[in-house]
Amino acid sequence: MPKKYDTPLLDELEKGPYPSFVTEIKKAAETSDMSADALGQIEKSYRDKIPYWKHGGIVGVLGYGGGVIGRYSSLPEEFPNIAHFHTVRINQPSGFFYTTKALREICDIWDKYGSGLTNMHGSTGDIIFLGTDTANLEAIFAEFSSRGWDLGGSGSAMRTPSCCIGPARCEWANIDTLDICYQLTQEFQDELHRPAWPYKFKVKVAGCATDCVAAIARADCSIIGTWKGPILVDQDEVKNYAKGGMNIAAEIVRMCPTGCMSYKNGELKVADEDCNRCMHCIAKMTKALRPSGERGAAILLGSKAPIVVGSLLSWVVVPFIKAEPPYDELKEMIRNIIEWWDEHAKPRERIGELIEVKGMRSLLEYIGVDPQPQQIKHPRKDPFIFFTDEDFEKVYTKDKV
Amino acid sequence: MEKEELKEKVYAYMLKYKGKKKLKEKDVCKGVSGEAGIGADEVKKALREMIDAGKLMYSYAGGASSVEIPSEEYLREKGLI
Repeated sequence: MPKKYDTPLLDELEKGPYPSFVTEIKKAAETSDMSADALGQIEKSYRDKIPYWKHGGIVGVLGYGGGVIGRYSSLPEEFPNIAHFHTVRINQPSGFFYTTKALREICDIWDKYGSGLTNMHGSTGDIIFLGTDTANLEAIFAEFSSRGWDLGGSGSAMRTPSCCIGPARCEWANIDTLDICYQLTQEFQDELHRPAWPYKFKVKVAGCATDCVAAIARADCSIIGTWKGPILVDQDEVKNYAKGGMNIAAEIVRMCPTGCMSYKNGELKVADEDCNRCMHCIAKMTKALRPSGERGAAILLGSKAPIVVGSLLSWVVVPFIKAEPPYDELKEMIRNIIEWWDEHAKPRERIGELIEVKGMRSLLEYIGVDPQPQQIKHPRKDPFIFFTDEDFEKVYTKDKV
Repeated sequence: MEKEELKEKVYAYMLKYKGKKKLKEKDVCKGVSGEAGIGADEVKKALREMIDAGKLMYSYAGGASSVEIPSEEYLREKGLI
């Protein structure tokens, strides 16, 4: 029977309308010594205002450089069951689709070897299994891998790619996010399991600019589905939206970030040449508006949470690239981008930080992409590329010819 | 150069920096490649075989990874000694 701890401070976190991690740990603590001790230590941390976890170190599965994150209690005598409390990351399926059989299977493995606590999912996308002992790691890996699962990424590696649910359930997906995510995971297996880069590199795939996977805020490389043709407008459906009470001028036209829409005499018009494919209008008027023409992806680079410098959002680098099987063009572009970063970055420097340090020109030249208006991050104040005398010379010579 | 000889060079390189510098895989490949006058890709292959065999191992601190010579404790835990 696991030891019971008094947890008056943690109990406060069970009050209110929201789900509570404390409630879940308490449930696990009814049968798990690890979860019981975790509750005791967390309560003590809250009381003393001191974290009692130590991270990192030398834990893992033989041959793998990622997937296990070492965590130790700094109070092992007081909380012996969490002297080791390592995290195991398991590569999630594209779009987070599971069968109940698969979920039972992985939970049974975790009940057998770990605390029983999981995090579905971590911000990178992996299934996170919280709390196990060093001695169990090889056995856990053997059990997972024998059932077709593999470890996820951690450390200075390609992190497990993730994606939105894409065409599986969403009619607005411009690209097959699930397949791209799977194919990139296979393509970068070596880089995922053997950390060899200056720091982490995260890839997320979103089917459209609505970006349900929040790639633009979280991924070093965001692959976002887009289209080349005009937005098709069904004027009868526009009228239905107006009849239904939608204030089209306020909610659609004035919310358009590029001001490319107009609404007069009950008719909605789009100046497609000025549209940046943000998806706001389409997501609001799903019955009236629809993308058309060639589909592909935009590649954005550079978002990250604050570590070395403050948080960054992604930046359009490749406005349009084909994203069709076998995705050779996409894979080659991502490899080139990573090569440039790996060559120039300091330890713990993410690609967004490196672009700010070295400038866009160096990156664009390396990956063979021309400077384009879509790459301007802050209009009228962002010299995203500096032209050299040679560039001007080329322009003048061309004019003379 | 024979692969076993190359592995010895990699190990000697790791020993030289043990406790002094956290080496990334790339640092080892470049360093040994420069010293031994062979391609970095060959060094990488040898290095990875050594990692697979437990002769070397990946380590992790502050979110960044490096390559290290494993401790006796680690080798015992993996059943390698």
